[in-house]
Amino acid sequence: MVTASPHRPDGRPAPARQATLGESLRRNGVSRRGFLKFCAATASMMALPPSMAPAIAAALESARRPSVIWLSFQECTGCTESLTRSFSPTVENLILDTISLDYHHTLQAAAGDAAEHAREAAMHANAGEYLVVVDGSLPGPGANPGYSTIAGISNYDMLMETVADAAAVIAVGSCAAFGGLPKASPNPSGAVAVQDLVKDKPVINVSGCPPLPMVITGVLAQYLTFGKLPELDQYNRPLAFFGQSIHDRCYRRPFYDKGLFAETFDDEGAKKGWCLYRLGCKGPMTYNACATMKWNGGTSWPVEAGAPCLGCSEPDFWDAGGFYDALSVPPGNSGDMLLAAGAAGVAVGAGVGLLARSQAKGAAKQHQTVTAEELEQKL
Amino acid sequence: MTEAVLTPGADLPESSGTTQAAGGFSLARGLNALREEMDAPVASFFSSCVHCGLCATACPFFVETGDPKYTPIHKLEPMRILWEQEFTFWGKLKGVLREKLPLDKLGLDKHFAGKQVTDEMLAEWEPLLYDSCTMCGRCSMVCPVGNDIQYMIRKAREGQVASGHSPEGLVAASVRAVNTGSPMGLKWKTLDVQIRHVEQSTGLEVPIDKQGADYLVLLSSMEIINFPEYLEALTKIFAHAGVSWTLSQQCFEATNAGIQIGSKDIAAVLVQRVVDAAEALDVKNVISPECGHAYTAIRWEGPNAIKRAYPFKVFHIIEVLDQLRADGRIKTEGREDDRLSLHDPCNLARKSGVIQQQRNLMDLVAENFVDLKEHGKMQWCCGAGGGVSSNERAEALKLAAFKKKKAQIEEVEPDRMVTMCATCRTQLEEGLEEFTMDIPVIGLTELIADHLVESDEGTHA
Repeated sequence: MVTASPHRPDGRPAPARQATLGESLRRNGVSRRGFLKFCAATASMMALPPSMAPAIAAALESARRPSVIWLSFQECTGCTESLTRSFSPTVENLILDTISLDYHHTLQAAAGDAAEHAREAAMHANAGEYLVVVDGSLPGPGANPGYSTIAGISNYDMLMETVADAAAVIAVGSCAAFGGLPKASPNPSGAVAVQDLVKDKPVINVSGCPPLPMVITGVLAQYLTFGKLPELDQYNRPLAFFGQSIHDRCYRRPFYDKGLFAETFDDEGAKKGWCLYRLGCKGPMTYNACATMKWNGGTSWPVEAGAPCLGCSEPDFWDAGGFYDALSVPPGNSGDMLLAAGAAGVAVGAGVGLLARSQAKGAAKQHQTVTAEELEQKL
Repeated sequence: MTEAVLTPGADLPESSGTTQAAGGFSLARGLNALREEMDAPVASFFSSCVHCGLCATACPFFVETGDPKYTPIHKLEPMRILWEQEFTFWGKLKGVLREKLPLDKLGLDKHFAGKQVTDEMLAEWEPLLYDSCTMCGRCSMVCPVGNDIQYMIRKAREGQVASGHSPEGLVAASVRAVNTGSPMGLKWKTLDVQIRHVEQSTGLEVPIDKQGADYLVLLSSMEIINFPEYLEALTKIFAHAGVSWTLSQQCFEATNAGIQIGSKDIAAVLVQRVVDAAEALDVKNVISPECGHAYTAIRWEGPNAIKRAYPFKVFHIIEVLDQLRADGRIKTEGREDDRLSLHDPCNLARKSGVIQQQRNLMDLVAENFVDLKEHGKMQWCCGAGGGVSSNERAEALKLAAFKKKKAQIEEVEPDRMVTMCATCRTQLEEGLEEFTMDIPVIGLTELIADHLVESDEGTHA
């Protein structure tokens, strides 16, 4: 058993810059058991076989702290809040503590020129290897850059300069991933998402408003373990976390299947915990892991708290109609149309059925009777 | 009574060179036979399969081998392909496009390349449809969308027979059944010897060709050879209960090799013999013996095979015995005090709903009866039915599938097993011996006969 000592066997203090993730975690009081539990959870969240947990552990133990530059643009700091204040202390937090977060202007003490020097120093020291995390959207190249600047540098210039030598970009939050609130109609600042600008580097979108902390650390853990980025869906989101809809994993799903819906927020159905579909739940079109991982250390999540899913991890969710409008409600007097469609369907079905039956009957006409004599010839 | 149907194409091309085309069987004929079997249930079953694989977990052949090719629905792949290509809109459209468009030039050929049902494919599927399926129907019970898989297996075998891809053992049994009247080649004179023996040891008459009897009793060749005690037990019970019954020299065989090999033509010939014999003697009822498939063949498939209703009723012997019990016509004394358990034959329990009757009879004569955990309609097959026991090639698989039954028996640790199907009984005896488990197997009819109150009235009938 490895002890949680920050010292080498010979008693000399371990040099901080050379510390591996494993050493660093133990220095922060994370037991090996807690660490392995995290690895197993990560393996299962990423849909890897359980046999991969030791591999993740081994890789993370010995991983050198990767350099991470965190850029915050047009955002509300909610994503950083989600990550750092979710629940503490957790292995996820400590993993983040242990990456070499070389620039994060919300968290760092330095400001102005000094801060920008830190960013430039990290970029030069780790050229081609560092990760860039972005939260927030940014005014596009055609927009007035004055809407968002840092130290006098436009967001656009800072992003392009920082990304130039990066290994990959992780867009954290729906603003960075899809434009989010700043991009919502009428989009006064001409906001665009990171993937609209960065075309020559891998961009991983960890969407959500804010995203689940475990998803951010899961992507980092996978990168540290396998040296490559996870499998992505059509919106460049890690499939392991965004592969299934909220609806498919929702604990209220049985009520949906039975047709039991809450009609208002205070009716009998709401009190009994029935499906929130008619109150505008966007669960059926929203892909995220809230229903399984929940929030605040597994305490609860919006639907469990009685609020319909807003669909915050989907592109342009701000402009997808009212939050409390049901996804699809049959328009007006649809009875006749349904009847007509049903009748047409029955007619087509009957026609196809008759055709198939005549085909089988035709075959019966060509039937050659099987006889014992014939069978005997086979012996 | 050799009413062997004449072959329509008597001038068949000589099957000299080709290996599988013997007797005019061909791929074209096989595909035609499959097309004939495409009815509304088959179409809806194929289109509703959700590929969940639950049928695999219900199949003793998959469960005991773990080989995914034994997934029940997979055994129907050739039939499914034919259905998709010829009986669905998209399949037909693809077919038309394949013919009319230069798909290879458009680089689309791989999108339209449908898998064809070939002679090789049917040959490859022969062991899947025959060796690894007893048509026990357990898969049909668990299918979440209600697909009756064993119903389709029965149909798919029609295509195998017509294409010349059916197992030799079953072909031989079918030929013997039609030509000699018994799948094992028995003739009346063999049975006659046994009848004399029964009459001698019981002092009772075994009625033969009695006009107007209430019941025509049929036997299975397996019983005549391996379990002669059945006829003796039945003679005693019917004398005791005063039942009017008879055997028929015209037809004594209940089993139907045509159902097992999957040929409705052969099945119809064999069913017709039973019907002719019953009508000739003008009996009110026909009793199927302690055999599973014979009962489903005569009781359920028969009228469809000969395309008319019977003027008599069909019962399994266990149904008759339970009715006699309910009417107070069977009086027993003493009860077995060792631990007895029951194996329900699939054809009787799952496929025909005869479940409570055998338990009523067990209660009559067993002090210490224990059911297997899964019994009745969800019982596990012994592994030998549906033609598997007539198919020597399937020997190893048959034993593998038996392991599930063995595990069930080990769970309740009975002293003896009771069953009411000669094929199940043989399989249980052979399987238990293979695993050196000292558990004798007996037939339920015999067990009842052993406990009859001795009557001084002698014979009734």
